[in-house]
Amino acid sequence: MPESILSVEHLKKHFPTKQGLVRAIDDITFSVAPGDTLGLVGESGSGKTTTAQCVVGMYPPTSGEIRFKEEQIGTAFKRRPKYVKGDLRIVFQDPGSSLNPKRTIKQILSIPLKVHHIGTQHDRLARMKELLNMVELPADEYLYKYPQAIGGGEKQMVALARALATNPSFVLLDEPTSALDVSVQGKIINLLIRLQRELNLTYLFITHDLSLMRNVSSRVAIMYLGKLCEIAPTVEFFERPIHPYTKMLLSSIPVVSDAEEALKPRKAISKGEIPSPVNIPPGCSFHSRCLARNGRCAEDDPAMVEVAEGHFVRCHAALESELSGHGPA
Amino acid sequence: MALLEAKDLHVGYRTFEGYLHVLNGVKIEVDEGERVGLVGETGCGKTTTVKTILRVLPMPPAQVQGGEILYRGEDVLRMSTHAVRDLRRREITAIFQDPLQALNPMFTVGTQLRDILKDSKAGRDGGRLTKRDIEKRCIVALQETGMPDPERIMTNYPSQLSGGMRQRVCIAEALSREARLLLADEPTTNLDVTIQDQILRKLDELVDEKGTSVLMITHSMGVVRDLTQRLYVMYAGSMVETARTKELLACPRHPYTQGLMKSVPRLTGEGISEGIPGRIPNYLEPPSGCRFHPRCEHVMPVCKEAIPPFYAVDEDHFAACYLYRS
Repeated sequence: MPESILSVEHLKKHFPTKQGLVRAIDDITFSVAPGDTLGLVGESGSGKTTTAQCVVGMYPPTSGEIRFKEEQIGTAFKRRPKYVKGDLRIVFQDPGSSLNPKRTIKQILSIPLKVHHIGTQHDRLARMKELLNMVELPADEYLYKYPQAIGGGEKQMVALARALATNPSFVLLDEPTSALDVSVQGKIINLLIRLQRELNLTYLFITHDLSLMRNVSSRVAIMYLGKLCEIAPTVEFFERPIHPYTKMLLSSIPVVSDAEEALKPRKAISKGEIPSPVNIPPGCSFHSRCLARNGRCAEDDPAMVEVAEGHFVRCHAALESELSGHGPA
Repeated sequence: MALLEAKDLHVGYRTFEGYLHVLNGVKIEVDEGERVGLVGETGCGKTTTVKTILRVLPMPPAQVQGGEILYRGEDVLRMSTHAVRDLRRREITAIFQDPLQALNPMFTVGTQLRDILKDSKAGRDGGRLTKRDIEKRCIVALQETGMPDPERIMTNYPSQLSGGMRQRVCIAEALSREARLLLADEPTTNLDVTIQDQILRKLDELVDEKGTSVLMITHSMGVVRDLTQRLYVMYAGSMVETARTKELLACPRHPYTQGLMKSVPRLTGEGISEGIPGRIPNYLEPPSGCRFHPRCEHVMPVCKEAIPPFYAVDEDHFAACYLYRS
C-alpha cells in the first residue's frame, strides 16, 4: 500500500440514545494516499457524515485510531495541534447554513486567517482576494456581499475558499454539491479538480451519487450501516463490482444513456430498507437485504479481504465464488 | 383530444418586492394513458405548474394572468370550486415530494386512507363505498405498493414509518381511487437510490396495470428516462423543448438542454462539463424574449425581442429556439 496521508484504523463511534446504542461507525479501516481522492459512498444513515466529523474532530471517536501525516489525531479536538486543524479542513453540504448570514464574505474569509495568525491585516486582504480569485469569483465584487445575495453555487465556492484559507493539504468534502442543481454542480466539480491539481490537495469526497463519484474520485469506498463493504480503485470498481450491496446500488442508479445502462449489473434488484442502526442485524449487517446470502452470513461478520490489488471486499458469498473461479451471483 | 392540456399559461406572484412573473406561456399536453415527464432545475416553475393544474395554489399571492388548462376539454381554471373538488376526488390525483408534509401527523395511516376512500364516490353508481369495501380497498392499496404487513401499517402514525414507507403510503392514497391522471411532483427526491429504485419500479407497475396517465415532475434526467414516454424541459417558466424521452436525452437540441445534459455526471466517466454560466433569472425583471438568452452562447438579436415558439426540429421533436427557425 502506498504511503498514506490519512489513515483510519478500526475507528468506532457509538452514540448512546434512549432507544439503545447507535453504532454509527463500527470498526472501519481505510487510508488515503497524498494527492488522491477517496470517494466515500453510502445511503443516508450509513455513517459517512459521522466518519467525516470524526476525522475533522467534531466528535471524539469511541475507539480506534486516526493518523494524519503520521500524527495521532484521534483525540479530543481541543488537544489536536493547531497546525493540524489548519491542514485538514472541511466543506459542508449546505452552504446556506454553513456560512453566517450576518457576516460579509470578507468577514467570513478573515476568520480562519485570524485564528491561524496568517499575515498582517494588510496581507490578509490580499490573501482573501487571492482566495476568491482561486475559486473564480471576482474579488472586488464579492468581498463585501452577504451570503444571501449570492447563488447556491457561489456560496459553496466561498465555503471552499474559506476551507483553503489556511493552505491545507487535505480537504474533506461532505456532499459538496448535493444541495445544488446539475448545471451548477459541473462548475464546482471542475473547480475542485483543478484546485486539487494546482495545490496538490488530497480529498475525502463524501457523496451518495455514484455517477458523480465515477468522474471525481480515484478510489471508492462503499459504506453500509457503519461498516465498509468494498474499497477499490474507481475504474476497477465500476467494471468489476463484487459486493452484493455495491451491485444493488449500481443497478439502482437512474442513468441517461444506453451506454451507461450497459454498465449496470443486471441481476441485482434492489429490495428491503436500511435497518435501524440501533438493532443492526447479527452477522453481516447486509444479509437481510442480500440476494447472494448463505448460511454463514447471519452468523459471522465477514472480514475485509483483498481480492485484487487495492480491491477489498467484505462478503462471505462473494469470496467463496471468487475462490472457486466463478463470478459472484 | 388530449386528456390534459395547458395552453399559454401565465402565473405570477404578488410580493412585497413586486410582481414575480413566473410561468411564462407554459404548454403541456398529456394524452390518455400517456406518461409525460417535466424536468427543470430548482425555481423553474415546475411545482407552480402542478399546483395551478390542481388549483391548490394559494391565491393571493399567486395570480393566474392568462391561459387555460383543459381537462377533457373543460377549463379547470374556470370551474366552480365544487366542480374542481369533484375533479380532484375522482379524476386527478397527486404525489408530492415530501410525504411528511403530505400526511397528517395526528392521524394513523389507516384513518387517512379510509377518509380518502370514504370521500371518493368510487362505489357503485358513483355512490359511497361501504365500510367493508373501504377496509378491503385500503389493505389492497397498501399491498399493491409492496408494503409488508398492511394491517399493522394501518394502525401506525406517519412518524413511525421510514421515508420510503411514507412515500408508499402516499402512492397507495393516490392510486386507491382509480384516478385517471396522476401528477407526481418529485416523488423520490428525498429517498436513497435503492429505495428510489424500488418505489419507481412499483409506481411503474401500478400505473401500467391501472392505465393511469402520468405527469411526472422531477429534476433528475435518469428518473424520467425509465418512467416516461415523452418529456418536456422547462426553463424559467416556459417549455424549451419536447420530444420522446429517449430521443430528447440522446440528442437534445435546445442550447439549455444541451448544457444541462453535458453537466449530468455519467457512469461511463467521461468527465463533467463546466455547466451553464450564469444562473436562473430573477422573476421580478425577467429577461425579454427568450428567457435563456443572457446565458446562451448562440444568442442572436431576435432572441431578445420575442418569445420563440416551438419549432419542429425532427419528427415529434420541438425546440423553442430561433436556431431552428428555418
